[in-house]
Amino acid sequence: MTLSRRKFVRDLGISGAAANFAMGLPSLGWAASGSSKKRLVFLFSPNGVIPKHFWPDQAGELQSLKRILAPLEPLRQHVLTLQGIDNRIKGDGDGHMRGIGCLLTGIELFPGDVQGGSDTPAGWSMGISVDQHLKNRLQENPETQTRFGSLEFGVMVPDRADTWTRWSYAGPNQPMAPISDPYQMFDKLYGQTQNKAMLASVLDDLSDDFRKIESMVSPEDRVMLKQHLEMVRSIEKEIKSELQLSSSEKTTRHPVPQLEPNVEEQNDNMPLLCKMQMDLLLSSLVNDFTRIATFQITNSVGNAKMKWLDIDEGHHSISHEPDSNEEAYEQLIRINTWYCEQVAYLAKRLSETPEPGGEGSMLDHTTLVWTNELGKGNSHTRNDIPFVMVGGGLGFKTGQAIHCNRVPHNRLLMSICEAMGYPTPSFGNADYCGDGTLTGLYA
Amino acid sequence: MISGQEIYSRQCANCHGEKGQGVDGKYESPLKGDLQIDELTDLISETMPEGNPTACQGEEAARVAKYIRSSFYLESNNPSSNSVRRSLSRLTAEQLRQSIADLYGHFQGNGWTQEERGVEASYFAGSRWAKDKLQVKRTDPVINFDFGRENPASGVTKEEFLITWSGSLKVDQTGRYEIILRSTLSCTLKFGSNERVLVNNHVQSAGKEEFRRTLQLTGGRAYPFTLEFIQRKRKTEQPPAKVSLSWIPPSGVEEVIPPRHLIPNRLPATFSLQTKLPADDRSYGYERGTSVNRQWDESTTRAALEFAEIAKTELYPKYRRSHKDIPDENREKLRSFLTEILQTALRGPLSDEISTRYIDDQLAAAEDDGEAIKRSILISLKSPRFLYPTIDSDRSISQRRANRLALVLYDSLPADPWLTTVIAKDGMTKDQEVSRVASKMIRDYRAQAKIKRFLYQWLDLGDAEEITKDTNLYPGFDAELVQQLRGSLDAMLDANLKRGGNLRELLLTDRVMTSSALNDFYGESWKPQPAENKLDTEQEEVEILEQQEPESPVATGDEPENPASEPKVAGYLPEPASFSESVLNPEIHAGILSHPLILSHLAYFRSSSPIHRGVFLTRHTLGRILRPPSEAFTPINPNLHPSLTTRQRVELQTGETSCQVCHRKINSLGFALEAFDAVGRFRTEEKKQTIDASGRYQPREGDAVDFNGARELAEYIANSPDCHTAFVESAFEYFVKQPINAYGNDQLDQLTQFFRSNEFNIEKLITEIACIASDPQFKEDKPIRLSASLKEQ
Repeated sequence: MTLSRRKFVRDLGISGAAANFAMGLPSLGWAASGSSKKRLVFLFSPNGVIPKHFWPDQAGELQSLKRILAPLEPLRQHVLTLQGIDNRIKGDGDGHMRGIGCLLTGIELFPGDVQGGSDTPAGWSMGISVDQHLKNRLQENPETQTRFGSLEFGVMVPDRADTWTRWSYAGPNQPMAPISDPYQMFDKLYGQTQNKAMLASVLDDLSDDFRKIESMVSPEDRVMLKQHLEMVRSIEKEIKSELQLSSSEKTTRHPVPQLEPNVEEQNDNMPLLCKMQMDLLLSSLVNDFTRIATFQITNSVGNAKMKWLDIDEGHHSISHEPDSNEEAYEQLIRINTWYCEQVAYLAKRLSETPEPGGEGSMLDHTTLVWTNELGKGNSHTRNDIPFVMVGGGLGFKTGQAIHCNRVPHNRLLMSICEAMGYPTPSFGNADYCGDGTLTGLYA
Repeated sequence: MISGQEIYSRQCANCHGEKGQGVDGKYESPLKGDLQIDELTDLISETMPEGNPTACQGEEAARVAKYIRSSFYLESNNPSSNSVRRSLSRLTAEQLRQSIADLYGHFQGNGWTQEERGVEASYFAGSRWAKDKLQVKRTDPVINFDFGRENPASGVTKEEFLITWSGSLKVDQTGRYEIILRSTLSCTLKFGSNERVLVNNHVQSAGKEEFRRTLQLTGGRAYPFTLEFIQRKRKTEQPPAKVSLSWIPPSGVEEVIPPRHLIPNRLPATFSLQTKLPADDRSYGYERGTSVNRQWDESTTRAALEFAEIAKTELYPKYRRSHKDIPDENREKLRSFLTEILQTALRGPLSDEISTRYIDDQLAAAEDDGEAIKRSILISLKSPRFLYPTIDSDRSISQRRANRLALVLYDSLPADPWLTTVIAKDGMTKDQEVSRVASKMIRDYRAQAKIKRFLYQWLDLGDAEEITKDTNLYPGFDAELVQQLRGSLDAMLDANLKRGGNLRELLLTDRVMTSSALNDFYGESWKPQPAENKLDTEQEEVEILEQQEPESPVATGDEPENPASEPKVAGYLPEPASFSESVLNPEIHAGILSHPLILSHLAYFRSSSPIHRGVFLTRHTLGRILRPPSEAFTPINPNLHPSLTTRQRVELQTGETSCQVCHRKINSLGFALEAFDAVGRFRTEEKKQTIDASGRYQPREGDAVDFNGARELAEYIANSPDCHTAFVESAFEYFVKQPINAYGNDQLDQLTQFFRSNEFNIEKLITEIACIASDPQFKEDKPIRLSASLKEQ
C-alpha cells in the first residue's frame, strides 16, 4: 500500500503548508505520482449571495448548514467554507468586472474601453488564471498529463466576449471562451469515437450503391470502383472491431453520456443544460480527459430568469434590491439555493462514483471550488467572496468553517497551487501575497 | 539495297524493341519523339547505335529514320493513341474543395462579379451603428490607417466613432492564408459569413493589438467580410487610432491586402473547407483523381464531417428562417432541407431508394436534428455518386452537361440557383443553349481563377516555389521584391484576362505592370507610364472618393482651416504595392516570357540558366518532347572558368555529341534570353563580353528559324504553330483532366484552328473546350452508351 500523503506529513511532524512546499519539489514529486490523482473544479455563479443565509455562524466544525448551503447537507463532512477572504484588486474596471476578471487571476485588468456601471473602463486581465496555471504545470509532466489538460464549461454564458463573460485566462490579454453548448462539448470529448461509429454504420449502406453504379461504367473503370469498395469494406470491418473492443472495455465503467436531443440554449432550458454539462464534466473526469475544469454558470452580472422557481425577473436586477425588499431578498435566497443544488448534484455524482483505479470515491480526489464575483449583490462588495469547497482533492480539512481575518484572495490562490503540488511564492499581484499561503486549511 | 526496317531490326531492335516499345534493362522507354526527318537522321548518324555510332550513318541512317517515323516514332502513327480513352476519375482534392464550397453556396443565392476594387467604408459619428450618424461613405483602396489622435473623417470626432469597412476578399489561389488584423481599438472582423466572427476584440485592452488567423481559402471565390473599428468615449486616456488588414498569401510575405483582392461589396456567404486533403497524382502534367487509398478516404470523411457541421450551424437555421411555409411536423422541414442538399451533391433528383436510405433511414437513426444532418451528409458525401462526378448516365442530358461544364470550368458541381433552374427545365438539350450557359459561366470568378491558375502552370509557376538569389550579387532582391514581382505578373494576367485573355498579346506585350519598388530595382524601363499615355484602362489604384457628403455636416469649428497642408484623406497610409503600367520598351519587355518572375525562377542562385529556360521553352511553350538526360549532371562551377560567360560555360558542358542530341534544341532557345541575368534584369554584357543572345529553333514542320534576342524570340513564338498547339493541348488537359485525343484524334488540330480563327482569345478557347467536354454523347465510352441503350430497351 502506498504511504498516504497525510500520514507522511503527520509522521514527519511538519506543518501541512511546509510539507506541501517540500513535496512540490521534483525530487519528492508527490504531485507527479500517478498513484493519487488530484482534480480541481472551479464553479461560478454570479451577483453575490445573501450572507446571512449563506455563511455558517461559527468557525470550526460545521454544524447544520444555512438555507442556501442546505443542498450540501448530505455531504457536509466534505464541505469547507472559507469566510473573510477578499478580492482586493484595484485599478480599472467596475466591481463586477474586477469581480470576475480578477477572481482566478488575482491581478488587475488592463486599461481598456469596456465601461461598466461605475468606475473606469477596462480591458482583459493582466495575468493567467489559477486553473490555467495549474493546467500548464500538470501538462508539463507526463505523469499528470491528460488529453485536454483543462476543460472550460459554460451554462448560458452569453455569446459575447467581454470582461464580464470571462474568468479563465491563458495569460495576459488571453481570455478563454467557455463552451456553453453541450453538443459542442460532447463533440470535443467524444466526437471522434462517435464519428467512427456513425461512419461504420453508413458505410454498410454505401456498399449497395457501389454495386448499383458499377453497371454504369466500362469494365476498365470498374476496376477502380471495385478497389474503392474493397477499401470501404475493410475500413468498415476495422472500425467495427475497434469499437467492439473499446466498448467491451469501457461500457461497465465509462459509458459515453447520452444527451437529450434538440435542447437549445435558451433561458428556460438552463436547468437541463446545467445537468447535461455536469454529466459531461463528470464523464470527462472519470475518463481522465482532464483534472482541471472551470464551470461557469451565466456570467458576471448574469441575468438568468429562473422561471422554474416562479421568478420572472432577471437575477442581476433583483440583486440590486435593498435587503428591505423582502420579496427580492427571499428570491435571492432561492436563486442561490438553486445554484447550490447544481454544485451539490455534481458533488453527489462524484461521491457515488468509485475512484477509477484508486481508493474511495471520486469526490475524495476532487475539490470543487464554488465561488462568485461579489460578496453581496446590492453592495457590490468584494469582501467575503463566497468560497465553498467540496471534496478531498486538495487535501484540505473538510467538515469545517474557516473564518479568515480579511485576507486577500491571492493567498487562497497560492494555497490552492501549493495543495496541487506546485507551491509558488506569489500568485497574481505579488503585493497581496506577502503573508504567504493561508493557515488552518489542513488537519 | 537493305531497307530501313532491316537495318533497324538488325542494329536497333535489340535495345529499342521490334516495334520501338523499349526493352527492359536496356532502353526501356518507348522510342517516341517529334523530330523532323533530317534531325532524326543526323541524330542516328551521329549517336547510334550507342557505343558504335559509325555503324549506321548517312543514307542508312536516313532509311532508318524514315522507317521509324512512318511506323511508330510519331505520336500520330502510334496505333495505341487511337484507343486513348477517357478514364474514370474521382474528385481531385481541388474539385472536392470547390464542390463543397458550392454546396454551401447553393443556399446563399447567385453570386456576381464586379470590376470595382477596394473596400466600402462608412464613418459614423458615435460608437454605435445608427443610420443618421453616418457622416462619410466612400471606397477606401485598402485598410491601412493611422488616425493618431485626429478626427478620422469630417464630421466624425476623434473621441467617439465607428468605422465599418465591408467588402469581399477575392482569392484566386487555393491555399493557406494568414490574415493579420492590427488594431489599437475595439474591433470585430466577420469573415465568410455574418455568423462567423474571425476576430472578436469587442474589448479594447491595452497591449492587445495584433490578431493572426490562419485559414485554408478556396480559390476563385470572394469572401464577404465586415470590419468594425470602434473608439468608445471614456473617462480614461484613449489610445491613438490605428488599424490595418494584412495577409500572408501562400508562399508569400506579409503585405497590406492589396486593392486588386478587395471588392467594395459583400458577396454571398462563402465556406472554405479547412480539412487537409492529400495531393493528387500529377504525373500527366495535370491533376487526376485516379487513385483511391486510405489517406484519401479518411480525408473525404473529415471533409464530409466538416461540411456537416456548417450545414448544421449555418445552412439549416437559414433554411428554416426562409422556409416558414414548410411544416415542422414529422421533421418535414429537415427532410426537405436534406433533399435539397443531396440533390445538389448527388447531381440530380433522388430516387425513392436513395431518398429512403440517405435521408429517411438517417432521420430514423438520430433523434437529434444535428446528428441526423451529420449522418445524412456523411453518407452522401462518401457516396460514389458524389465522388465520381461523371457516373451519371441515369441523369437528364441537361444535368449531365451541366455536371461537365461545372467540372471543367469550376472544378465543381452545378449548384448555383440559376444553373439548377436551367437543369430543372432541361434547358440544355441544344448546343446553343450549352454555349450560352458556358459563356455565362466563364465570366464567373471561379472560371477566371481557374484560367489564371492554368496560365501560371503554363508559365511553369504553378508551384510558386521560393526564389532566392545571392544578395551580394543582387542586393535588394529579397522576398518582398519577389512578392512584388508576383503582384506585377498577376496584374498583367488580370489586365489581359479582363479583355477576355489573348495569347498573342501576352506573348508580345512591350510593357509590364510596375510598382515603385520594382522601378527602383529594375531601373528606367520599369518607370510608370505617364498618366496621359496610358493605353490600358486597367487602373490599379482605387481613388478615395467621397461619395457621400454628410447631409448635415457636424461643424466642429475647432479645426484649423488649412486644407493645403492637410493630407487628402485623414490617416491614410500610402500603399506600397500599387501597380501601374510601365513605359514601353519592346527590347526589355519582350512579352510575358521575359518577365523577371519567370526568368529569375529559371535561373541559378548566382547566374542565369539557359538550360532551364531552354527546357521551359521547348516543353511548356512549344510543346516538344524532350527525353530526360541519360544521367544527372552537376553544372560546371563558374569559378573554374572565371572568364567564361554563362553561354560559353553551357556550350562547354553540353558540347559532347550525346548531349547535343537534345541540347542543340534546348540551348539555342535558352540563349535567346541571355540578355536577362539571374534576377531577370536586362544586361548588355557579362564578364566584360557583349551578350550573345542569338538562337535558333527547328519547328516540327518547316525550316529552322534564327533569332537574336528576346524580342525576336517572342515574335517568333507568338506566330509559331508549335506554340499554339501546345497551348491548346495544355489548356484542354488542364481544364478537362483527360487527354485531348480521347475526344477525337483530330480534336487538337480543330481546336487549334478554332483558337487561331478567334484571334487567340483565351476565354473563347476555354468556353469551346468546356462545350466539347460537356457532351456526354461525344465519342461516348462504349460501355456507357451500351448500358444507356440497354436501359432504353
